[in-house]
Amino acid sequence: MRPGRFLVAVDVGGTFTDAVAVSAAGGTLVAKVPSTPEDPAIAFEEALAELERAGLPLGSAHLVFHGTTVATNAMLTGRLARVVLVTTEGFGDVLSYRNGTRPSVYDLQQPRPGELVARRDRVEARERLSSTGEIVTALSEAEIARVVDEVAARRPEAVAVAFLFSYLDDRHEEQMAEALERRLGGVPVARSARLAREFREYPRTATAAVNAGLRPVVGRYLVSATSRLERLGVSGRLMIMQSNGGCVPAARADEEAHRLLLSGPAAGVAGTVALGQEYGIERLVSFDMGGTSLDVCLVAHGTPPLTPTETIAGHPILCPSVDMVTIGAGGGSIAEVGPTGRLSVGPRSAGAQPGPAAYGRGGEEATVTDAHVVLGTLPTGLSLAGGLGLDLEAARKVVGRVGEEMGLSLEEAADGIVQVSVAQMSLALRRVSVERGIDPEGYTLVAFGGAGPLHAGLLLRELRFGSVLVPRYPGLFAAAGLVSTDLRVDESRTVLAPLTEEMLPALAGWLRSTAEEIRARLADDGVSGRPARLVASADCRYVGQGYELAVQISPLSEAALAELPERFAELHQRTYGHRDPEGTVEVVTLRLSAFGALPKARQEGVSPAGRSTASSAMVTTTSARLPGGAHRVGIPVYDRAALRSGHRFDGPAIVHQHDATTLVLDGQSARVDRRGSLWIEEVR
Amino acid sequence: MSRRTGAGTRLPAVTFELISAALHSAAVEMGGVLKHSSYSPIIREMDDFSCAVFRSDGDLVAQADFIPAQLGAMSLVVKNLIERWGDAVEPGDAYLANHPYMGAMHTPDLNVIMPVFLGGHLVAWTGTTAHHIDVGGVRPGTEGPDLREVYAEGLVLPPVRLYRAGRENPDVVSIVAAAVRDPRSTLSDLRAQRAACLIGVSRIEELAARYGTPRLLAAFDEMLDSVERAVRAALAALPDGESEAEGFLDDDGTGGPPQRIHARLVKTGDELLVDLSGTAPQLSGALNVPWASTRAAVVYALRAMTDPSMATNDGILRPLEIVCPRGVLLNPEPPAAVSVRHNTCQRLADTLVRAASELWPHKAVASSTVAFFGMNLESVSPRSGLSSVMAEVVGGGTGAHAGGDGLDGVDTYMANVGLMPVEVAESDYSVRILRTELIPGSAGTGEHHGGLGLRRDYQVLERPATVTMYSEQTDPRFPPRGAAGGGDGAPSRLRLFGPDGVEVPVPSKVTMTLEPGSVVRIETSGGGGYGAPTRRPVVAEEADRADGRLEAPPRSNDDGPAHRRRQRPRGERAAR
Repeated sequence: MRPGRFLVAVDVGGTFTDAVAVSAAGGTLVAKVPSTPEDPAIAFEEALAELERAGLPLGSAHLVFHGTTVATNAMLTGRLARVVLVTTEGFGDVLSYRNGTRPSVYDLQQPRPGELVARRDRVEARERLSSTGEIVTALSEAEIARVVDEVAARRPEAVAVAFLFSYLDDRHEEQMAEALERRLGGVPVARSARLAREFREYPRTATAAVNAGLRPVVGRYLVSATSRLERLGVSGRLMIMQSNGGCVPAARADEEAHRLLLSGPAAGVAGTVALGQEYGIERLVSFDMGGTSLDVCLVAHGTPPLTPTETIAGHPILCPSVDMVTIGAGGGSIAEVGPTGRLSVGPRSAGAQPGPAAYGRGGEEATVTDAHVVLGTLPTGLSLAGGLGLDLEAARKVVGRVGEEMGLSLEEAADGIVQVSVAQMSLALRRVSVERGIDPEGYTLVAFGGAGPLHAGLLLRELRFGSVLVPRYPGLFAAAGLVSTDLRVDESRTVLAPLTEEMLPALAGWLRSTAEEIRARLADDGVSGRPARLVASADCRYVGQGYELAVQISPLSEAALAELPERFAELHQRTYGHRDPEGTVEVVTLRLSAFGALPKARQEGVSPAGRSTASSAMVTTTSARLPGGAHRVGIPVYDRAALRSGHRFDGPAIVHQHDATTLVLDGQSARVDRRGSLWIEEVR
Repeated sequence: MSRRTGAGTRLPAVTFELISAALHSAAVEMGGVLKHSSYSPIIREMDDFSCAVFRSDGDLVAQADFIPAQLGAMSLVVKNLIERWGDAVEPGDAYLANHPYMGAMHTPDLNVIMPVFLGGHLVAWTGTTAHHIDVGGVRPGTEGPDLREVYAEGLVLPPVRLYRAGRENPDVVSIVAAAVRDPRSTLSDLRAQRAACLIGVSRIEELAARYGTPRLLAAFDEMLDSVERAVRAALAALPDGESEAEGFLDDDGTGGPPQRIHARLVKTGDELLVDLSGTAPQLSGALNVPWASTRAAVVYALRAMTDPSMATNDGILRPLEIVCPRGVLLNPEPPAAVSVRHNTCQRLADTLVRAASELWPHKAVASSTVAFFGMNLESVSPRSGLSSVMAEVVGGGTGAHAGGDGLDGVDTYMANVGLMPVEVAESDYSVRILRTELIPGSAGTGEHHGGLGLRRDYQVLERPATVTMYSEQTDPRFPPRGAAGGGDGAPSRLRLFGPDGVEVPVPSKVTMTLEPGSVVRIETSGGGGYGAPTRRPVVAEEADRADGRLEAPPRSNDDGPAHRRRQRPRGERAAR
């Protein structure tokens, strides 16, 4: 990257939208504005304008990275575009009966799962392929015309076409989709086989329906964001984070809208991975807690785990995604007292508007943030991001109401809200660690997001992590993580045949020609000069099995392909503890992923403490009741910006900074390293 | 055999939680290994398998939520194995068992069990059970409603050593290979089951290395005790009382009259008595239920009606007394046939839930389908050319409840077997599935509607094939019941169309040969409704109409009558 140029990142959360600009020289500019969920593009523009006010020459932005929750929110709130689904005749209801199982085995009162496409909006087409790809019933021109009429009459916002066996031969899907596109003008038409060339009709159809339902939503958003960039005079290209932890240019992102479902959370994980690489730490847990939700991901070997199928709101989506656990626990999570007197917190959130009552923007319900304000662990009278002050009286009023309903004192109620919320966080962390047989002791908890550092000390004690690492700008960490990502392109080809020697030249040929295409595309997308890193693999299984293992292929040669059966058998033995000496190995899918390295920025550290001690950063002492504690105690408050490399101090302590507050418990100690990170450990 | 228990060891609360969560996760992981390396669609696509961890005495301590019918039963196999092999059990052994009169459920459910030794002592067992499509016998797919003795139901194995000290036992392997119709899939899946057990063994060894054997054993004990405490607390929180309900099987499996299932519940304090002795005597056909499965049904119903989210193990059995004399169809004398026992189990589960709904009206739910359509079709794989048997199960509607509508087209109660994807079925078997669709109007109406039943058509391709099919709940007198004023669901129906498209009458349970081009159609029952239909909101009713859920429109391509008259409930009712 040329001197004077900046990498810019904008990360949209449920409550705040964060922006970071890093210069080639290592300078960092930051901005934080309230999110605007009704149109996230407004906050996107606001954040960039705020960066400009902080000193960023917008014209010098080289690339603008963006993590967006627009797809996720649409999915979780059910605000997808209205989709008409076209299926093979006799199978229109596939999204109703799904895979034929109940989500909960024992619950006789479970709710009926939501459907992606209403039954009235399903149109069946007379066409059929056999399991060997032969045409059993041809798709006639007359049938195409009839179906197109039926679809058009429903005035859809988007259409999904999913025919049986299209993963073998997608010509019927293509014919139908092309006719629909001709007739419906700009209405997006998703084709199942193009999105996921994989067998099993239910997940493939669901993926197509999700893609269709998201495209108008994501498309509108990206058009809006792009035009706002133009208006601000930003010439740098817009890069969108995908669920797999890599980026694509905005122009390609809406076609792959279903790949954006973890765009926001993946940014925080990318930040954790980058931080791990900087420190040379392999075992980390990413703990990203904002105003609305908590995203937790365990990073075991310096790379985030990927899962081939993501399940969101009960729907399977076929696309490689960062494997994480998300729960509705954030600073804005609302506390409620149920009819039986039980206290629950979240998943409903006060979000960006009105936000917690303490933000003084009209919030009328008690949130986790309000509880901390009442306890004093979020001290009032200190400046906060977005120019917010905290209104103690408003917080006391709403938390007091919860107390009255439960017959508890004000502070007991506040303590209860925090403890219930921490128990939920603890469960989420257990799901990625203890429940997978992993002891948290060997792991570093990387706590960020506006509310992460406030709870990290409590979870350190509860789950006995090795230590907690609070990055220098916790509230902006996910945005900073975006800046460290690479472009990623995934291509695949269905083979679905036992591996024979005759196939090798064709398969090697596909790998080589696809590698060329991807290189050209990456050059086109802004990566030039440096060669892209290519990773090839084959999803293999024994004939008769239904699930595959991914076997790496290196280099991209016939010789490496010829070794697949042996490499597969070894992997099968390692993974499942047995191999089948008589088994025939078939290749289901050949995959090629390319990582285009984007320019990286160097982030500056903090200056050494010299002879000063942490007390030089102490700004005041506040009275607070620690969660689980019986009474108020005097607690020193440190200014994060004044802490220097080498400073150490003991808990209880509160560390204040613009974008987050860190709570260190009694019996814990904290230190600052040269990168400005804050480490918390138990004193044993 | 020297067994060790955890008596007298102090166990910190956090350590207990870590160990119990890790054992649960070991069971989940065992399931992943089995599913992902299996060769049979019934395991890999339909999830008809379970995995669990047992204490040294055979009590089940940790399970993931697999199939309730299997989980509630498995520990009896382990106990039988302990009784049989005693001190002869060695590290690295893996036992294979499926004997319905030695703790197993029916012959196709093959159990593979491995001991866990620590420091020379037996401390635990890991086990898997999986439905194998065919274990030999007179019928492809082994099962047959009209079979009269367990000897006709394929290979019957008391606990035998599939592996001895880590090596495959060639004697057992060759007996199995010679007796089953698809030895390649059967043996591969048995190896996958044993691999799953091995994963469980390593996870337990790792836990012992981390926390020490005494704490691990103390955790086993505490897991059972804590479940017992939770179940007792849940029972104590419910009002005391006594209730009963009856349900009927359509027939006895051989074309005989309906058969009565009867359950009487007596709840006192924190204990529950389940008296099944009012049930009909054992049957000449294969709808009898071995004791393991009867016990599993009661365990299932107890968890579902108390706290469905509660993790369970054999601790749930302690506050429970089940009364059922020998010779009743829920506790038959050998050698009565049992291969189609699951249909009876589903009817038993429904009867138990209805009896519990009487006892605790605030927990009442409408009935789910118990049609449990099953089909075993002799077949040849179009891809590999090898002969095999297609095993299929089709779900239906679940019952509505106070909180909302039932689910459409799912397996119910004690099973949660998936619907085979069309793209899998047609790739592995010489069959074409012509439709899979919801049946409008099949659910009971009410303030909340039941879920809809499913219609699925199978066309036999290429060559004549022997098929065994069975469906319950075809008798219009015994449909899924509504609750709190809701209407009943429609009964199920099995139909057959010849290659010429003309309907051929068939009984609801049958074994026959189908000519190529024949079409089997199953229509499963919808769930019962809940609450008075007049209370259904207008918007919901309008949506039902717009979505065509209420009544079947005439179909131009329907090769059978589209309309059926709804039957009024008669005959069966919850007795007070």
